[in-house]
Amino acid sequence: MAPSGVIRPSMGAVIESCRAAQLGGAPLRLATRAPTAARPSHLTSQRAAAISTTASLLKRHKYEGARKTRDNNKHRGESAVRRTGPRWRSSVDSEPLPKPVPRDEVPPVETDPNHGLWDFFFDRKTVAQPPAADAAHGRAWMVEELRHKSWDDLHRLWWVCVKERNRIATATWERNKSKLGYGDVEATDRDRQVRLTMRGIKHTLTERFNAWEDARKLAEADPEINLSGAGNGTIYTPAEYLEEETFDETEALAAEESEEKTATEAEPAAASKATATATLDPAELPASSKSEGAAPRL
Amino acid sequence: MATSVAEAAARALPNFRTGAKQIFLPNHVITFIRPKPKQPPNLATFVVPLTFNKLDLRDYLFHAYNVEVLAVRSFINERAPVRDGDRGKWYRPRSQKMMIVELEKAFVWPEPPAEDAREDFDYNTFRRNLQTREARDAEFTRRRKGEIALRTEAKVPQQRKTLRKQAAAILNSEEGWSNRSGVKEDDGAWKEVEEEMKVPRGKQ
Repeated sequence: MAPSGVIRPSMGAVIESCRAAQLGGAPLRLATRAPTAARPSHLTSQRAAAISTTASLLKRHKYEGARKTRDNNKHRGESAVRRTGPRWRSSVDSEPLPKPVPRDEVPPVETDPNHGLWDFFFDRKTVAQPPAADAAHGRAWMVEELRHKSWDDLHRLWWVCVKERNRIATATWERNKSKLGYGDVEATDRDRQVRLTMRGIKHTLTERFNAWEDARKLAEADPEINLSGAGNGTIYTPAEYLEEETFDETEALAAEESEEKTATEAEPAAASKATATATLDPAELPASSKSEGAAPRL
Repeated sequence: MATSVAEAAARALPNFRTGAKQIFLPNHVITFIRPKPKQPPNLATFVVPLTFNKLDLRDYLFHAYNVEVLAVRSFINERAPVRDGDRGKWYRPRSQKMMIVELEKAFVWPEPPAEDAREDFDYNTFRRNLQTREARDAEFTRRRKGEIALRTEAKVPQQRKTLRKQAAAILNSEEGWSNRSGVKEDDGAWKEVEEEMKVPRGKQ
């Protein structure tokens, strides 16, 4: 059987203090037995500390011979195997944690009726339109019809075609993935007409570009046209003979007759007229003469 | 064009800086595909050309569809190798690029129409053909693998069931079965089978 000294030091101290009180109000003596020389002195002090009302709760090592020095390891003695738990109480927020809402109880998301992505759909309910509706299309635009359209019109039509092709591709994907039924043939035919239109647009624009290039090359070789931008910014300077075209036919006939009569006299007069027009500045020409806008267009 | 330029200027600028290169006649096909069942509605998936990058799709959606995008994710689906015909060369089809964009405004796809609401697409014929084709393909695959189903595993065809029922009826009958059972008694004389048929005289 274990002696009383083996009992935990605090318990032993309490028992002994009670015993001392029974002995007749003697002053509290913690060590009833005289410390022997064999016992180390620190045990005495440990017993004295056991009566303290402020128990050192945080002190883990209370056994005899425990070290006094402070351990730097805050987690000394914590073990997951022995399930000791942490040495200190963790700080916990009083705010309750939110619980996730089940997917079924999440309110449905409303789609904006003006959302731009609706443009990918033929039909807002079925996404793909039935093959009968898909087949109800006309023919593609022909090049001859497109030649009369301006660049802005052609550009708009191109974008209509692009969006239509996106719509057809989206509907085809949806029809096949969701297994709605038939309709691939009709969609392919529709797509072909759209692509024909796009081809026509490119054809028209290429024609225009080629015409423009031809005109530019002609203009480069034309002495009347100045493409360099120099010389008062005037591009078109009509030559002299163009101005002489404006005369009246009857007058010309009369002049011819008179020329035949007085051929020798007319020569110096015509020469003087030619020099006068050559020195004339084209910017100061009278309004009746041929303007730049009335010039033949290339 | 002047009006469209004014419209573009009046439109609020996006929260990103758009590209500066102008493309007048783009020739891309963008497919908007149905999201996966649990995909949130602020994500939209597109099949794009392989040459597209994230910025291209972002600007394309903004300029062509007026849809603003917060982020883009991109991935490429490699296709499985296929054969050119039955005995042709193996080759791998062109890969497919998909992009998932985070939308500023959520977009919810409509539910696909119910099976009885697809008459316009001739769904009944379509489904029958599909089932037939799938059954044939499964049978072909099974035979090619050399897996011959046990008789207990094989599906009993309807005509075998009928035949079994008829055999059981004969065996359970009072007379039992003989070689003459089910055969009408005949006197052995020749009989004009088509006697009652009326042939139009004009055609003879």
